Amino acid sequence: MNRLSASFSLTLAAIVFVALALIPVLGSGYWTGQATRYVLFGMFAMSLSLLWGRAGMLTFGHAVFFGIGGYVMATMTMGLFGDGILSELLAQPWIALPVSVGGAALAAAALGWFLFWGRGVSGAYLAIITLSVAVVVEQAVRGFYALGGDNGLVGVPALATWAADPFNPVPMFYTVLVIAAVVYVGLDRLLRSRMGALLTAVSANPDRLGHFGYSVFVVRLGAFVLGAAIAGLAGALFVATDGFASPSLIGFGLSAEVLIWVALGGRNILLAAFLGAVAVRLAESFLSGLLGDFWLLALGMVFMASVVLLPQGLIATPMLWLNNRWNQGNRSNSRDAPGPANDGMV
Amino acid sequence: MIEAFPIFLDALSFVLILVLVASGLVIVFGMMGIINLAHGELFLLGAYTVVVAQGFGAPFWLAAALAPIVVGVAGLAIEFLLVRFVVHRPLDTILATWGLSIVIKQLVVLAFGPGSHSVAVPIDGAFSVGEFSYPAYRIVLMIVATAVIAGAGYVLVGTRFGLLARAVIARPGTSASLGINTGRVTQVSFAIGAALAGLAGALVAPLISVDPQMGLGFLVPAFLAILVGGAGSMTGLVAGGGLVGGLDSVLGGWISPVLAQITVFVLAILVIRLRPGGLFPGRGRRP
Repeated sequence: MNRLSASFSLTLAAIVFVALALIPVLGSGYWTGQATRYVLFGMFAMSLSLLWGRAGMLTFGHAVFFGIGGYVMATMTMGLFGDGILSELLAQPWIALPVSVGGAALAAAALGWFLFWGRGVSGAYLAIITLSVAVVVEQAVRGFYALGGDNGLVGVPALATWAADPFNPVPMFYTVLVIAAVVYVGLDRLLRSRMGALLTAVSANPDRLGHFGYSVFVVRLGAFVLGAAIAGLAGALFVATDGFASPSLIGFGLSAEVLIWVALGGRNILLAAFLGAVAVRLAESFLSGLLGDFWLLALGMVFMASVVLLPQGLIATPMLWLNNRWNQGNRSNSRDAPGPANDGMV
Repeated sequence: MIEAFPIFLDALSFVLILVLVASGLVIVFGMMGIINLAHGELFLLGAYTVVVAQGFGAPFWLAAALAPIVVGVAGLAIEFLLVRFVVHRPLDTILATWGLSIVIKQLVVLAFGPGSHSVAVPIDGAFSVGEFSYPAYRIVLMIVATAVIAGAGYVLVGTRFGLLARAVIARPGTSASLGINTGRVTQVSFAIGAALAGLAGALVAPLISVDPQMGLGFLVPAFLAILVGGAGSMTGLVAGGGLVGGLDSVLGGWISPVLAQITVFVLAILVIRLRPGGLFPGRGRRP
């Protein structure tokens, strides 16, 4: 079994998000600011877990959508679109944010249509094509001077005046945390619904799903667009937090990084993917100064070892163990308790 | 006419370099189906072997001969310690080799620093005919690359080992039941692929700046060349490499190099998407 039961998953998520919510109380302003970014990366990782862990689409270009969300947000809120009153209207964060998400979703719909229609690309071909797409998009952005080229766009406004004080990152942190929690709960509900079963089916046996009368194309495209929309949301919030949109957000480097977070955390479990991103970023901020160049070496080695020995992920493996204990305990407590198959396990 | 000649030679030498780099990958990925994202780092190790050997005062050609041995042994070790555990999980192979590429890159950074090294061009001077002249080393490189590519093709098609390798690759179960030691053949094939990458790195080293990030720049075009040509055959690779490398080189002189690369990548993606078997499908593995 490589999924968590509904009750265990909800309990664990509650613990994780409450623990994160304590960061501004216990930690300094600096760490609250950092934690905001980690949570956004965690959201980004969850969207990859949806695509890769659940729907079986290994993509090496997921940061393209993170970056599109970020660049749309940056250009709109900086007032680079239109002129006069239109520009001011488009610069409103509450208009720019949905448009950023929509932009990422639209780009994913176009790319996904191209990739999945007909027999579609999957497996290694998908990995190599998305890798090439990420390289192309990053190069294009680096060479595109209207987007700041190599330097990126500096001075992206904050989400609102209450989030604009650089010495008080607390409001933005809680905003981001609440959004991440909502995204988590929504995705978790979705994956336990019929849609989740379809995604599992499209990864396990697309031909059979097709024979049942479902469109493999629509399921794949739907997952791809949803994953990209969440990545775009994370990207847009990230540039609003950071005040800076750089080409490194859109390219191959971040795409490969998020893959490592998700693989280390656990590709099949949303919460494990989320924690994978948070844990690796946290470890990096402590260890990269301490270890220097050895940090990346250690990360690569741990990653390699985890892929070979614990393909479920370093965080997901203990989670699954606890999950089994939890469910056994529940079952022995009440005699007529439903078995794992009825416990919302998908 | 005479103005077009250097453009043609530049394109040809770039194509041959690309095909040479990808020739190891065509065995490992095209035929064996192992998606080796660390191939660029094997190429990198070849180039650094030359840097180190020259540091000890070895002549270039000795260093270049040493590179495939060093990297081939590294390939054996990689197959033994990593690849054989994940080869039955293709997507995990991608991840594991990606991890390996990070590790190799960082080891090189730790040992030689992040900066770039240069390797002296072993053959100075130019080759000139009439008013036209071209760097001699590039001419020699083209000849050597052609010979290596032809040799690798011959080993795969014309020798008993090649037959065994192709048998194991196409039908592992049947081959094993016929008494072929499939594990050994896989190991040797992987090592040959690695050795070819190392040789490519050594031969190309004098023409480029040798730095720890040089692998990725060759990895993506190499994969695209293989997929465009049709994974699984040397002839497909030559065709795919010709298209990807040739177009990149010719467009690069015309419009900007960045725009050229973007155009070539986009075209290659289109070809791979519309013809998943490649333009010249071989008889190797199918997607």
